[in-house]
Amino acid sequence: MAKSLLLICRRSPWSGPGAREALDVALAGGAFDLPISLLFLDDGVFQLKPAQQPAAVQQKDLTANLQALPLFGVEALYVARADLDSRGLSAEHLSLPATPVEDAHLAALLDQHDLVITL
Amino acid sequence: MATLHLLSRSPFVDLSGASCLRLLGAGDGLLLTGDAVYALQADSRPFAVLSALPADRPLFALAEDLEARGIAAPDFVQAIDYAEFVELTLRFERVNSWL
Amino acid sequence: MSTLNVMGKEIALDKDGYLLELDDWSPAVAEALAAREQIALGEAHWEILELLRRFYAEFQLSPATRPLIRYTAQQLGPEKGNSLHLNQLFHGTPAKLAAKLAGLPKPTNCI
Repeated sequence: MAKSLLLICRRSPWSGPGAREALDVALAGGAFDLPISLLFLDDGVFQLKPAQQPAAVQQKDLTANLQALPLFGVEALYVARADLDSRGLSAEHLSLPATPVEDAHLAALLDQHDLVITL
Repeated sequence: MATLHLLSRSPFVDLSGASCLRLLGAGDGLLLTGDAVYALQADSRPFAVLSALPADRPLFALAEDLEARGIAAPDFVQAIDYAEFVELTLRFERVNSWL
Repeated sequence: MSTLNVMGKEIALDKDGYLLELDDWSPAVAEALAAREQIALGEAHWEILELLRRFYAEFQLSPATRPLIRYTAQQLGPEKGNSLHLNQLFHGTPAKLAAKLAGLPKPTNCI
């Protein structure tokens, strides 16, 4: 049985390579059928904000890439509700369907996985 | 069950410490290294937060990083060396580094 | 790096034979790339190449094998979205070879 991995994505798509690196880990693991979950935390929730325009700063479209996660077999997507709330985002209007998790349940989410990587 | 969280950034410039506390469950440990040990600066706000942590969330700090910064380990923190650091990572089920 | 001559136009390729400029792609370019791989493109091939170009337009990346199979099954049905069908069409390496013929970048995350 392959070890399950929880990837915690804390970086906005625009803050440097962090967001992209986390996505690459997810896509690579998914392509090999590893059980991977993603938790969007802190500014990482901005990765799920709809209607971003990466071409304006000559970047690749991370949001478009994120949409491919389910096809890569990565379907367990979680987002910290408190970080959505504090950043004025709504769980109903995200570019990908992610399950909102209250702070009180975050520790339990980690406990459900063998490995945790924060990027 | 339990996770050892590794922090290395100053709580005064980085959210990782605050976010880590939101993920910290009963039995989870917290190890401060590098500038993260500034959280133990007496009379600071992070000091107050950490001193109020429940006892079932053990708190550690690298002794040499404390020493270098002239910070004394308060009684709610266990100062450890690198050998104990290694031992600690084995004692917990998983380790999560906050980069 | 090398080039491919298609109807008098020089098309730049990377060291693995993928198009350097995705905009250089045309059906004629696909035919020429396929000829280099000893493949005569039939209807079943074109269907996959068009599917891949749609995949790229939507997700901005080239799929690895499993996502390609999943996407094909989703769009064209399970009788085409399976590894046997795709392997037969593209010499056993559908993700890499079909991406090449469709003018997409080489898929990463792919052995």
